[in-house]
Amino acid sequence: MRALKRGFRSFRRHPAANLVVVLLLFVCLTFCLSMLAVKLAADSQTEAVKGRIGNYGEIRSSSGYMMSTFERERGKSEAERAREVRGMSEEEELEERAKTLVPEELADAFSRHRYILTYDKILTAGVTVPGIKNVELSSMLDLSKEIKEGAAASGITEHTFVFEGNTNGASASEFLNGSKRLIAGSFYTYADHLEANPVVLVERNLADENGIEVGDTVTARVSGESGKKAEVKLEVVGIYETVEAERQSQKGSFATFNPAGNKFFAPLSVVQTLNKTPGYVELGSYYFDSVDHTEELREAFAEARGDSDRYEFVTDEADYRLISDPLEKVGKTSLIGFGGALGASALIILLAMAIIVGGRTRELGVLKAIGATDRQVVTQYAVEVLCICLVAIALATLATALVSQGIGDWLLSGSENGRVVEEGEEASGYAAMMARLTERNLYKEGGLFSLPGGEKEEAQLNVVYQGRMLAYGILILLGISLLGMAIPVAWINRLEPARVLSME
Amino acid sequence: MPEPMEDYGNNLGGVGGALLEVADVSKTFRSKAGEVRAVDGVSFTAQQGEVVVIVGPSGSGKTTLLYILGSLEKPDQGKILVSGEDICAPGVDLIAYRRRRVGFIFQFFNLVTALTALENVALPMDLSAVPSAEQERRAVELLERMGIDRRLQRTRANRLSGGEKQRVAIARALANDPQIILADEPTGNLDSATGGTVVDILVRLAREDGRCVLIVTHDESILGVADRAFHMADGRLSPR
Ligand SMILES: Nc1ncnc2c1ncn2[C@@H]1O[C@H](COP(=O)(O)OP(=O)(O)OP(=O)(O)O)[C@@H](O)[C@H]1O
Ligand SMILES: [Mg+2]
Repeated sequence: MRALKRGFRSFRRHPAANLVVVLLLFVCLTFCLSMLAVKLAADSQTEAVKGRIGNYGEIRSSSGYMMSTFERERGKSEAERAREVRGMSEEEELEERAKTLVPEELADAFSRHRYILTYDKILTAGVTVPGIKNVELSSMLDLSKEIKEGAAASGITEHTFVFEGNTNGASASEFLNGSKRLIAGSFYTYADHLEANPVVLVERNLADENGIEVGDTVTARVSGESGKKAEVKLEVVGIYETVEAERQSQKGSFATFNPAGNKFFAPLSVVQTLNKTPGYVELGSYYFDSVDHTEELREAFAEARGDSDRYEFVTDEADYRLISDPLEKVGKTSLIGFGGALGASALIILLAMAIIVGGRTRELGVLKAIGATDRQVVTQYAVEVLCICLVAIALATLATALVSQGIGDWLLSGSENGRVVEEGEEASGYAAMMARLTERNLYKEGGLFSLPGGEKEEAQLNVVYQGRMLAYGILILLGISLLGMAIPVAWINRLEPARVLSME
Repeated sequence: MPEPMEDYGNNLGGVGGALLEVADVSKTFRSKAGEVRAVDGVSFTAQQGEVVVIVGPSGSGKTTLLYILGSLEKPDQGKILVSGEDICAPGVDLIAYRRRRVGFIFQFFNLVTALTALENVALPMDLSAVPSAEQERRAVELLERMGIDRRLQRTRANRLSGGEKQRVAIARALANDPQIILADEPTGNLDSATGGTVVDILVRLAREDGRCVLIVTHDESILGVADRAFHMADGRLSPR
């Protein structure tokens, strides 16, 4: 206790020397702590991102297969196609209709993998609703005669609507990500899907224009069928609005045509019936636990799929990398900076203590000569070191709170510049154009009709002063203080008062 | 080894009589340059209340002898009995000895420069865990006795004059009330008037308090106050 007081007194009585040491330490420790804060922030940010991005995947018809199918179809004339269909058995016809779809069993089987947390099956189809006019589509079709004829050939009229089916209305991606919002009625449920209840969600504007309310029914036509059995009465259970409509329409001329704006949402089984593709889905959509298991899931999928390259498993890992890579880079850089600064701090305290103790050998001799134990002397010096380090680290902590965000942003901008350069080297020409054409959005991002590459989340570094920093700060404080104490400890053991007291 | 009492008995005789008995103490320094026999078979005794003065030229081994007596230097041979107890024997608590039995007045003051006069005097008591109120009371009393006034008591040691420093050093040596005072050239760095005052103080410590005051010096004029005087040359001690 007395030694503590003596140490503190000694710290106060040598202001100039101690101030120099404190300042040097302060600079190094500020750098050290800032780097640590950045590192911790980068790590925790990566973890946070992991919870949201990179843990999504879907099974769908592969791009390569879609392309080759498309090429084959293009070579055929309208008459050829019609003839083909006429000569088909029922199974062959289903096979033909589902050629770009995924068998439900494949999607179901994959959902049993241990890393899969939730899953959904989706089918989007163009469905004719004779009683209602698709205003947007019809204005588009009216643009030119060719468009109208071309569309009619593929069965698209002003009464054609996009129907999106999934197993549970509330978990349709656009409702999950907030771009659409239910404003009246309720969602269809998983039970509706299982029981194939003919229910549907309608867009608000469409409902207004056609005087549709919750509880009304609309009649849709099963594609490829005719007559009475082709008609399905669908009860409107809910009306939604498109929150993002405004924003999307500002993005560009293409976006102003937004057929998804008046999409119908219905249970998957109902859409399967309307599309006449029972047992097939457009895609299986999965949330798994983390991006870390992407590889295992890919392998599992490759095994389930067998040799065929007809289906593919795609994930949003790239989106994750887009954020995590710069963060990882920043983390690495800051770790190196942290190590360097910590080393410098250690060196400073060692040198400073060597100078301080060296300059006070006479005092040490006096203390020993008048009966101080080594422990008393060491404690006194330890307290002085501790005071120096404590003041330095307290100041450094404050400074860190001020500068670490800046350092973090600076490091992040550095690592992002690197990324931009890489992107600039992307292949151009035909291959790139085709790649872009076949690039489909993930269902998670809002499905088929949302714009590709719209808004990808960017890496952000939010350097907040975490509680863990305090613990690390204390550890660093103890570490460098102990190191500093080593000097007086080593000194006092070798010190012979008789030698130093006779000096002058 | 012969019984020291027989060979080096003092006038007053008897083991219990002498406060300090030094018997055949030698110390040789060895370095690359060669050997120096700094203290060579020194024997003497000193009683309570006595002023012992050892005079010798520079390099005669005075400081070395004093360091040995203060336990700061280990002799190669010989015994130092303080109240009959050999401080060179193994297992002796040298910390306690330095704290309570001897008070050291160094050739070059050796005050702690960052501390005030008062804090310097309180320091040995602080190390011995004397309560701080008591420390202050006693330090003030000692400094007052040395003629250091209140203002100087609160002055940092490095701002004091030589004479003031030496008086503070004496007060510090007295802090834990030791029986033996070891003074190394107490007048060496002072003018003759100031030196005289310091010697007077030291003599009073023997006469009034009954301490044993051992002064080593090259200043022959101090011999006048000695109860017992020795001459030292080349590490050897001879009575005068
Ligand atoms: N640590 C040491 N190593 C080697 N030689 C030493 C050491 N300490 C003292 N000596 C030598 O021992 C001899 C006695 O030294 P000491 O300091 O005791 O003399 P002194 O009588 O106090 O002299 P002064 O009056 O100048 O203070 C000297 O020759 C000195 O050089
Ligand atoms: Mg000397």
